[in-house]
Amino acid sequence: MNRIDFRMPALGADMESGTLTQWLKKPGERIRRGEALAVVETTKGLIDIESFDAGVVEELLALPGATVAVGAVLARIASESPGATAAPAADATARGRAEPPSAAAPAAGPISIAPTPGAAAAPAPASRPRVSPAARHRAGELGIDLATVKGSGPGGLVRLEDIEPLAKAAAGPAPRVDMRAAIGAAMARSKREIPHYYLAHPIDFGAARDWLARFNASVLVAERLLDAVLIVKAVALAAAQIEGFNGYFRDGKFERSTAVNVGTAIALRGGGLVAPALLDADHKDLKTLMREFSDLVTRVRTGHMRSGEVTSATITLTSLGAEAVDALYPIINPPQVAIIGAGAVAERPWVSDGQLAIRPLMTLTLAADHRVTDGRAGSRFLHRIADLLTQPEKL
Amino acid sequence: MTTAALDPSQIAAHVMALLTGVAPDIDPAAVAPDRDLRDQFDFDSMDTLHFATAISSEFGIEVAEKEYARLASLKKACDFVQEKLRTRG
Repeated sequence: MNRIDFRMPALGADMESGTLTQWLKKPGERIRRGEALAVVETTKGLIDIESFDAGVVEELLALPGATVAVGAVLARIASESPGATAAPAADATARGRAEPPSAAAPAAGPISIAPTPGAAAAPAPASRPRVSPAARHRAGELGIDLATVKGSGPGGLVRLEDIEPLAKAAAGPAPRVDMRAAIGAAMARSKREIPHYYLAHPIDFGAARDWLARFNASVLVAERLLDAVLIVKAVALAAAQIEGFNGYFRDGKFERSTAVNVGTAIALRGGGLVAPALLDADHKDLKTLMREFSDLVTRVRTGHMRSGEVTSATITLTSLGAEAVDALYPIINPPQVAIIGAGAVAERPWVSDGQLAIRPLMTLTLAADHRVTDGRAGSRFLHRIADLLTQPEKL
Repeated sequence: MTTAALDPSQIAAHVMALLTGVAPDIDPAAVAPDRDLRDQFDFDSMDTLHFATAISSEFGIEVAEKEYARLASLKKACDFVQEKLRTRG
């Protein structure tokens, strides 16, 4: 049995701290590997922080409402796994692959934590409110801190009917001003530090579109695929095959990742976007990727991202949607070294085998890091993605 | 659910509930029935697929991909459901 520290993870290249909003376990409760222990609010919204280790929660060291520095100890877990690490789950690290981004060195030990001004003085875990199981479950879904809920039941018991009126407020949009500032800071850093180069490559998307139409006509509505999933898979396979685009640039060198975790840029209503990862996308079939993508979009828009998917993207794919423009020129998300843009599919003139035809074209773009690759490699990478998309049945 | 005897207002209420179910981050009071959901709430292809799935499941009707445009606004979606239920008998 190892006693390990559960720390505030870096959930973005520029994150310095996060606000603990809720504990999902109490001392003495068991936690599985990959299960969320805490909910933290960042400029990306609410994120469930997963434990890398299975064990028993020993103590919780921070109060809901507290702003906690990256690397500071949030809780201690009595781990059942020998040689357990202290970090919350971040998949790339967990599998011995390239490490996720880290904005600050971990603090040496537990910290003294003061609740943020204006935050309710939350009770210590030992005096937590009495809560019905249904209310606890619903509050967990909504990311509501139970310590802030006044119970109407016997002895102050918090019941489901005390939670529901708070649902609308909890589901409201997260502040976008902070997110816009965070996006601005991250992109400014990227453009300042990374020598981008850009390539564009129009492709005939007809084969992929036709295959998709046939497939979707043969299954229930709920099992249909989006074209984005085909592109995710093609990017993932190409990234695994062509060296220099999948991984991180850190400490003056490129660290190739054997895992291919494709960050997918997801727009938030009202502005802002996040790019959580579809993990191991090169090894998953299209149905699995679609299921995970659908789940990811739903959770992103309701504030339930998981720390592992926030920190572990090794390359990013972005698209502005079916009604958007022909091409986009995205900015690399550091410390990644490449980002793919997928333009809208549109009918355009196209010459093939000497014949002019009207075809559904899509322009793929690549922004890549000149410290790692050059245009020749980038060209091979885009061509490989294009080749894969012309053979959708093999994806 | 039994959908055969639903009147237009009941269908509208159901469709509205489905819309806010698949997009819980939108304010139901802000939905303008005639406005395109893409313009009003940045609806994307995933939202449309989720909306089509919910409508198909709730009303037991087929929603072909080429019919997605008929779900572009709340009103259009209600009209589409009514028509499908009527032709189904």
